[in-house]
Amino acid sequence: MLYQDYAYLIVALPVLAFVLCIFFGWHLPRGGGFLTVLATFAGLILSIGIFQEIYPDKIVHQSMPWFANFNVGILIDPLAIVMLLMVTFVVTLIHTYANGYMNGDPGAARYFAEAALFTAAMLGLVYSDNLLQLFIFWELVGLCSYLLIGFWYRKPSAAAAAKKAFLTTRVGDVLFLAAIILLYNNLAALPITLRPGEYLLQFPVIYAHIAEIPPDQLTLIALGLLGGAVGKSGQFPLHVWLPDAMEGPTTVSAMIHAATMVTAGVYLVARMFPLFYAAPYGLTAVAAVGAFTALFAATMGLTAFDIKRVLAFSTVSQLGFMMAGLGVGAAVGAFAVGVSIFHLIGHSFFKALLFLCAGSVIHAVNTNDMREMGGVGKYMKWTMYTMLIGSLSLAGFPFFTGFFSKDEIIVIAYEYGVVINFLPYIFLIAAAILTAIYTFRMWFSVFTGSPRSDYGKHESPWVMLGPLVILAVFAFGFGLAAQEPFYEYLDSNFEHYGVNFEELGIIGGHAAEGEHAAAAEGEEAAAEEEHGEPFIIQILPIIIALGGILLAGLFYWDKIKRFEPDRVTGENDPIRRILLKGYYQHEIFTQWFAETVVYGTALIMNMIDIKLVDGWLNWLSGWVLGFAGNLRRVQTGIVQNYVTALVLGIVVLVVVIQVAKVVIL
Amino acid sequence: MIPLELYLLLASTMFTIGLYGLVTQKNGVKLMMCIELLLNSANINLVAFSAYQPNVNGQVFALFSIALAAAEAGIGFAILISLYRLYGTIDLDNINVMRW
Repeated sequence: MLYQDYAYLIVALPVLAFVLCIFFGWHLPRGGGFLTVLATFAGLILSIGIFQEIYPDKIVHQSMPWFANFNVGILIDPLAIVMLLMVTFVVTLIHTYANGYMNGDPGAARYFAEAALFTAAMLGLVYSDNLLQLFIFWELVGLCSYLLIGFWYRKPSAAAAAKKAFLTTRVGDVLFLAAIILLYNNLAALPITLRPGEYLLQFPVIYAHIAEIPPDQLTLIALGLLGGAVGKSGQFPLHVWLPDAMEGPTTVSAMIHAATMVTAGVYLVARMFPLFYAAPYGLTAVAAVGAFTALFAATMGLTAFDIKRVLAFSTVSQLGFMMAGLGVGAAVGAFAVGVSIFHLIGHSFFKALLFLCAGSVIHAVNTNDMREMGGVGKYMKWTMYTMLIGSLSLAGFPFFTGFFSKDEIIVIAYEYGVVINFLPYIFLIAAAILTAIYTFRMWFSVFTGSPRSDYGKHESPWVMLGPLVILAVFAFGFGLAAQEPFYEYLDSNFEHYGVNFEELGIIGGHAAEGEHAAAAEGEEAAAEEEHGEPFIIQILPIIIALGGILLAGLFYWDKIKRFEPDRVTGENDPIRRILLKGYYQHEIFTQWFAETVVYGTALIMNMIDIKLVDGWLNWLSGWVLGFAGNLRRVQTGIVQNYVTALVLGIVVLVVVIQVAKVVIL
Repeated sequence: MIPLELYLLLASTMFTIGLYGLVTQKNGVKLMMCIELLLNSANINLVAFSAYQPNVNGQVFALFSIALAAAEAGIGFAILISLYRLYGTIDLDNINVMRW
């Protein structure tokens, strides 16, 4: 028996759990949550089994025809298997935790059903073997996120947040769909002879024919795909839904932010990395979006008071890191995929941990506002220390997971800087400082000091603490243990398809002749760049992390407090206000853009519609009606008139025929 | 033998009278009579041509036409009677429900 023969069960079991929960969950204890946990856990077992079978140099590819030129299939390569392992693992823990967290909620069955479907959609997305199937699961993920963010749909703010998430990601999805159509058209136009079992939108087929597509088309496709990724992964300017998504239960936030939703965008870019690499400006755009988002979101994380919003901005920022990590692949090639996905996996561990810790705190304290917490650590030892591990990891403290993953991105951003442009590097360094500061501002102000309000003081039950501890172990040790083999393993990902990055790089215009020469000189140059020259570059992230933590401590830790935050930035400080307002995004997006520009345009369009489009149609129909109204007076109802008309008609006919005869003959 | 032209003249005169009556008269019965004139002028034509061109087809056709006229008259008068019962008049100017 091979595990890979049962790969379809990884998705099928959570779907089964969804069906069971939604129909029978009401009768089961705790809403049938154990079904969801079991289904995901089975997925984890299967994933581990498949991993053992294919590591280190095999892939699984199963496919069957669907209709016309399309197929459904499963493709498990290194990129997919690490995602599968991460998603099943993290989600199993989150579901376990949710069994405690959602206990007593009347909608628990609905929660577990939707969560199971959410998991299934994400897993299906990860191991789809063609772009169309990926898109279908992509949309399912979007739907489930809508349902879960709006889980407490009686709360107007939750309903609004769900709508916002759905509509915002929709913008990206449309671009994604456009990119798929464009890609399909371009592939269909090529003289490809498909062997049996090959279909146009399958990833191996796409990889094999990227070089034949015109470069300008490649750029368009890449930008469309990036649009989809931007929407799903909450990158600027479509990041606005992510902080609002906090309206759902905390476990949903943990799922969305760590494992199941926002990583999909990064995964898409990683999956289509050869295409981005070949597209001129493709990776440049990715790097620009990522680096900007990383800094932009980090600044907003500095001022948020809601503990979950701090984490949300941090997610946006870290996703920016991942995007930038992929984008700087223009300089380092497919190695960037390994670096970026490594950060994705590490981030999912510590971000899930942080969210679940925050959930544990909120569960006890019953408020999201950090200004009302303070000193919680005295009552919640386990939560405090696990969250400390998560925070250290996020801040990039040496030897924690985040240190290895995030700092590697900064290092390759430096290499990108040497070859192409230093801007992403500068942005990422700045974002890294802010990350350390806002993370520890949060930790210090929640767990240290004295209580600032009267809140519930008790530790959470073990069904919630257990996952925290397991996640904490991974948030601490994963980076140290797995970094090197992980990079090697993911580096081999595109070799399975024979992707020729040199050829693609020439199309994309970032592997210029000079670099070829450098590559010809061998590892020497690269080795020098990585180890010899920039010692300061190697240790700068460490300095930054420590400095940021220290700085946060000076402001917020009562033991070493030197500065009063309010004295440095008063209530009326313009920068603070801008950050608190989130750069006036709400004002710009909603009040200015939506209510003025879009609504104004809509009004004008409405006028045009009424006056012009409807106008001439109404005029025409009015004219016809009037004409007919006059014409019908012919129907007098008096028989004599009819007879007269009849006779006159015959006379006219006869005359006409006679005249015609004379004229023609 | 009376020349054919005279028959044709008679027939067209009858037809014209009938047509005139049809256009000008208001009374339903008079209209029926005018229609009879039209039909019979056609019959005269049929019989006349039949006699002058030794062929019995035209006369047979005239017989059919007479039978048709009888049936038509029967239906027409029945309609007029029911109109009279409904409106108390057979002046067709007053019976103009089938109009705009």
